This record gives sequence, C-alpha cells and structure tokens, in this order.
Amino acid sequence: MRGPEPSSAGTVNQDALYEQAADVYGSSLARLARAYEFDAEVRRDLLQEIHFQLWRSFAHFDGRCSLRTWVYRVAHNVATGHVIRQRRITDRLVSIENIEVMPSNNHGELAATQAEALDRLSMLIQRLKPLDRQIIVSYLEGMDASSIGELTGFSSTNIAMKVHRIKTILRRWFGEGGLDAK
Amino acid sequence: MPSDFPVKDPQKIWQSQATEPFKMSANELRYRALQRQSKARLEARSSVIIGLVLSVFFAWTFTMAHTVLARTGWVLLSLWGIYAAYHAYKWVWPWNLPQDAPISTCLEFYRRELERRRDHLRRRWWRSGLPFLLLGMAMVIVGTGAQNAPPHPLLNALPFILLFAIWAVALVFMNKKLGRENIQQEIEELRKFETENH
Repeated sequence: MRGPEPSSAGTVNQDALYEQAADVYGSSLARLARAYEFDAEVRRDLLQEIHFQLWRSFAHFDGRCSLRTWVYRVAHNVATGHVIRQRRITDRLVSIENIEVMPSNNHGELAATQAEALDRLSMLIQRLKPLDRQIIVSYLEGMDASSIGELTGFSSTNIAMKVHRIKTILRRWFGEGGLDAK
Repeated sequence: MPSDFPVKDPQKIWQSQATEPFKMSANELRYRALQRQSKARLEARSSVIIGLVLSVFFAWTFTMAHTVLARTGWVLLSLWGIYAAYHAYKWVWPWNLPQDAPISTCLEFYRRELERRRDHLRRRWWRSGLPFLLLGMAMVIVGTGAQNAPPHPLLNALPFILLFAIWAVALVFMNKKLGRENIQQEIEELRKFETENH
C-alpha cells in the first residue's frame, strides 16, 4: 500500500475517529453509496471501500475542517473514483442544467409509494455527473449552501444557483408544491 | 395518487430510506489493509517474474537466430520483457485514496482524478511497450522469412501487417469510445469552474 501507515500512537485516535464517524454518519454513507451505485452487490463493496478509506484517512486527520466535511469529502471522493474507474464518466452522465431541460419520465404523475419515489429519485441522481451528484446528495441530506460549498469547492453563488435548479427539477419530478410545502 | 406528504418531499424520501447498519471492526479494517497489500505484492511479483522469464527466453532465442535482423528483433523482444516487468511493477499497486483527498475539495479531487485517467489512457500505448514488441516481432518475422528464402520478405510479413493494421484501427476506435476527448473537455470545464470560484 502506498503512503505511510498510521503509527501505533495514532492508531487509537484513528480507530476512535472512525468509530465516531461510522456511528454518526453511517446511515448517510449508506445513502451516499446508493447515489453512486445501483447494483446492490457492488454498492456493498463501494460502501466497504468508503469505510476502509475513511479509516485510513483518519491517520492524517488534523482538525483543519470539521469531522462532517472530512467524512463527506472522503466518501464522495471514493465514490467519484469508483464512477471514474467504472468508465461511466464519458458520455452517459449529464449535468443538472441538462436535466433541467429534459422532460421528466413520470409524465407529471406523482409516485404512489415511498419505494417508487425513492427509485425515481435514485434514477435521477445516477444520471448526474459526479459534482452535480455531490451537490444534490448534500442538498437531500439537508446541508446548507455554505457547507455544500466547503465540501465541493464551488462558490456560494454557484451552489445557490445549482440548488435552485435542483429544486425546480425535483418539483417537476415529484409534483408541484411538494417542496414549497416545506 | 400518493397517500402521504413525504412522497412529495424528496429530502424526506431520501433521508427516510431504509439502510442496513454497517460498520467495520478495527480487526476487519487491518485485515483488509494487509490483504490488499499482500495481493498487490503478489501481483507485482508475478508480473515481474513473467516479464523476466520472457526476457530470458527471448535472449536465449537470440543465440539460435541466424540473420542480423532476426537477432536484433529477439534483442528488442528481450528488452521489452524487462521493460514490461518494470511497468507492471510500477502500475499494479491497488487504488487508494490520495492522502490529501479529505483536504482537497471535491472539485479539485475530481479534476485531478480525471487528469490521471486521461494520462493513463494517453500513455497506455507506450507504457505497455507495444511499439517495441511489435517492432521486435516484425524484425523476427521478416528476418526469419529472409533466411528461408521466400520470394520476398514483405510477402511473408503480410499476415502480420494485416493483423497490425486491424489492431491499430481497433485501438483508435477503442480510444475514441473511451472518450478521451470528453474527459479533456470535462477537465477544461472544471478548470474554468475552479478559476471562477477562486
């Protein structure tokens, strides 16, 4: 393996940080894996890889950003690496801007069940390019614009614009008023 | 018609999805790290051994060849064996998240990974040493053919030349398919974003 492995002094801290991250963000990480991989078996491998790389990364955690930002950056970056290695990057993925002008698949009908709605949402997310996927997933996880900006590296203005577009798309895919009702 | 409000609220739909609890124990994580390291070492060693065996075999065949052209071809193939062994060793390591990944923003990371992928595709031809391998094979075939006194060495090499042409066309097609140009375009867009956001 490349790169220095954690020293024994740092190992306890590394393990403790991983424990804490897995406890607090475990569910978010599982949802994040769903945003990047449709196949359940491969998704399980991806989730394991995210956990493993997260544990490795904690050997170098220096507190220069919050634990949440660290965890999400590692997770999104591992998942992005997965998408690149699967060679899905080239021509099949689109941007939020492209999705905005595409007709929605549901012909204006609302999803009848939670599962159907989730499938529809996952389908929408998995059509997006990695950075736009990171933004939509962060938005769905309830992160605010500045946190999404810190995570992705986009300016707040750009994030605000993207989030506005995401809301428009979701409104179209999930029915008028759904988001306004919040 | 949906029965409940959450169906209309994507954030709630997303956050309320069922997830299996998942956590790796410290032992599992260490075992995985060791396993990955051993696997990479084994792959690297086998690639090096195969490359060196080929190199020795080609060097031995060199002594059996009678024409200068064929001998030069075998030498080239023997050197290719060493070259391939070195590159197999260099590239066989498993993918690991770069150490600065949690510090870099996702935008920087994504751009760097795409650049790496682009470079990987761009240098694949040279990295595998295919030009040396093909040149060596051509020299051996033509050299050996000349020794057997055919009507013309080029006629003997015709099947090889045809195969080479098919392979070259397939490579160009594959490269296009892999979308190197698309990757480059994506990288340029990301650079533009980075400049805008700084």
